[in-house]
Amino acid sequence: MQTLGRFFDGETGLRLDVEVSIDEAARRLRLAHPELPSDMQDWPVEELRALGDEARQDQVTISLRTDHSSDSALIEEARLTLREGVFIARLRAMCPKLYKRDLAKNTWRKVFSRVGFAIGAVLLMLFVILPAMANTLALIIPPERENRWGKSVVAQMERLFGATELGELSCKHTVGTEALGTMLQRLSRGADLAYEVNVRVFDHEMVNAFAAPGGEVVLMRGLIEKASSPDEVAAVLAHEIAHVENRDATRNALRAAGSAGLLAMVLGDFAGASVMVIVAEATLNASYTREAETAADEYALAMLERSGTSSDGMADFFSAIADLEGDFKLPEYLSTHPATESREQRARDFASEQGITSPILNDEEWQALRSICD
Amino acid sequence: MRQLSGEYHGTAMPLFIIYFKVTVLTLFTLGIYRFWGKTRIRRYIWSATSGGDDSFEYTGTGLEKFLGFLVAVVLLAIYLGIVQMLLFYFGIVIFDEPQTDAEVLAQLAGIYITLVAAVPLIFFAQYRARRYKMSRTRWRGIRFGMEHGAWGYVLRAIFHITLTISTLGLLLPRQTFYLEKYMADRTWYGNAQFEQGGKWTGLYAGLTHVIMALAVMILGGFMAADSSPIFGTILIVLGYFWLLIGFVAYRIYAFNYMMKHKKLAGEVAFDSEAETGRVIGIVLGGSFIVTIVALIAGVFFALLAAAFGVLGAFSGLEPLSATTQQGVMGITVMAIYYVALLLVIPGVSLVVITQRIIAHVVGAITVQNAAGLDAIRQRMADEGADAEGFADALDVGGAI
Repeated sequence: MQTLGRFFDGETGLRLDVEVSIDEAARRLRLAHPELPSDMQDWPVEELRALGDEARQDQVTISLRTDHSSDSALIEEARLTLREGVFIARLRAMCPKLYKRDLAKNTWRKVFSRVGFAIGAVLLMLFVILPAMANTLALIIPPERENRWGKSVVAQMERLFGATELGELSCKHTVGTEALGTMLQRLSRGADLAYEVNVRVFDHEMVNAFAAPGGEVVLMRGLIEKASSPDEVAAVLAHEIAHVENRDATRNALRAAGSAGLLAMVLGDFAGASVMVIVAEATLNASYTREAETAADEYALAMLERSGTSSDGMADFFSAIADLEGDFKLPEYLSTHPATESREQRARDFASEQGITSPILNDEEWQALRSICD
Repeated sequence: MRQLSGEYHGTAMPLFIIYFKVTVLTLFTLGIYRFWGKTRIRRYIWSATSGGDDSFEYTGTGLEKFLGFLVAVVLLAIYLGIVQMLLFYFGIVIFDEPQTDAEVLAQLAGIYITLVAAVPLIFFAQYRARRYKMSRTRWRGIRFGMEHGAWGYVLRAIFHITLTISTLGLLLPRQTFYLEKYMADRTWYGNAQFEQGGKWTGLYAGLTHVIMALAVMILGGFMAADSSPIFGTILIVLGYFWLLIGFVAYRIYAFNYMMKHKKLAGEVAFDSEAETGRVIGIVLGGSFIVTIVALIAGVFFALLAAAFGVLGAFSGLEPLSATTQQGVMGITVMAIYYVALLLVIPGVSLVVITQRIIAHVVGAITVQNAAGLDAIRQRMADEGADAEGFADALDVGGAI
């Protein structure tokens, strides 16, 4: 069986139209042309490799297997292109390994070590280097800059909750504001605070509170309504003040800024990538704020103790939160806060060891606070 | 005076099948197969392209792309993490307290502008990706190649783009010319070097349609503001579409011009007669087909969703849970529709638009003085340790 093939030796760009024949007995492909060294080349059939995903139905390009190649699959530089259907069919029948993709010996080791190295480097960035950097930057940021930034974060939150104008959601009822001031003053008693805390109430039904960078604390109306005593509100406020003092919000934001681009890049451009990024980021956020939450709880307990307020309020609040959560509960590693029951227990235990306590606000002040948004 | 002409032998169905297979695999491997998928699509397109009846060959492998991506991820993780956090920090420290809504927005924009950290890297990645593709392209068994020079490209790209923006686009031809020249002059085929001739002012002729379209839009603007709002608006809309066509015309003109003024080894010359009308025809026709496919799929899935709804109503369940079940079914069907579109639409667009444009452009190119090619010899392989990892990591350059 014989045909003509186009041969390129991989050294010169010269095309040789070689005579190609199959030696069935010796299982070899023979290439003959006067310009080839010693007029011919013998290619063992077992070593033949064809190029994959060939667009032209009428041709096959083949080469020989080799052990090393720095810029292709493991094949030699020479190429032979065949165009005769019968000949190609015969060749395909003779060599089952024609389309085999050979792998270099140490491929798997290389893949595993590179994957391991890349994962290690990314994890090191996410969990060691970026948090350490965020810590340092959070400590050196000038407090007045931090406060300005915090104000803009609060403005952004306000917009998020539906305000069309700045300050629209802030509750400003005079007597209520005074009661809030009284509570803050008593809580701060004896505490050496680095920030000037600025508390406000948003007119929103959500049972929530947050601390923005630089001393800006926001309580939601829903939280005050849900609370059954001023001590519960005081516990939440103390907890948020702890976040302010520990610069948790600043640290979180810095860290998120560092890891967002990195996560988006690692998770790549395949379908649904953005969803994965959000989930990954949320998980990351959760895993490091849990420790911050525990620390903030302890700080808040110390504050309540100093101000002579019972931490039973805190326990009651957690108990109410647990009711709100109901049956639907996120696993602890996904949720930003530690399991509510254990926090409730901790506050209850702490209360049983406290000395004489009194409610943080009297009845009149408490009613005033409850009507701060009227 | 031997002359060779470019030919393209690819057809729609085989390429679509490859695309569909690799996209499904990419989905099931959470994206990891994309490196092999891209390799397969390129192998098809390269092997469909021929010059003087000798096919091109793409020798890149999925494995080297994957490994290169891992290298790039490590470097980018360090760079992006640290630089973005620092930019964010300075964003906080520099801005003042916002007084108005507009200032709040400006400050937020300032803080989120951290993405600029990636801009120089995008140009870096573009050059590296082209160098990688060149080094993995062979014709007649001889490999192409490109010199190192990605950082030089980054500096020039930033310089020229800044210049173009600050002159309101007036120096766009200068940018196009010098950036392409930078790359072309560093490109080799075997041991022969390419050389980009011509002048940057030669590209202005290609901007004719852009300039006329802008003139029409400005005229429309004046008329809309002054005497006849309706006629003015019509002019603006017409001018806008003309502008889009004008940019296509410019790209084609620039491609032809740059090709005509390239030389290989000082003697082999090129000609290119790509036609704007043909390319726009392909884009319009292709977009029409893509739209039809999306509509047919939409109708099909809507019927399917309706069928589930009817089934739910007759299933004898409690009224409330029947509605819930219908809702779940509806959402499931919509999700499947979304995934199906994701799988099919880019593939259809690849074969009816991208591949047909490639076919037209390849067919428009001829090589003159081809006898000079016979003396060219092989060049050393370029290992390119990171392949096009930076482009992959930063998602620059798309599927091909």
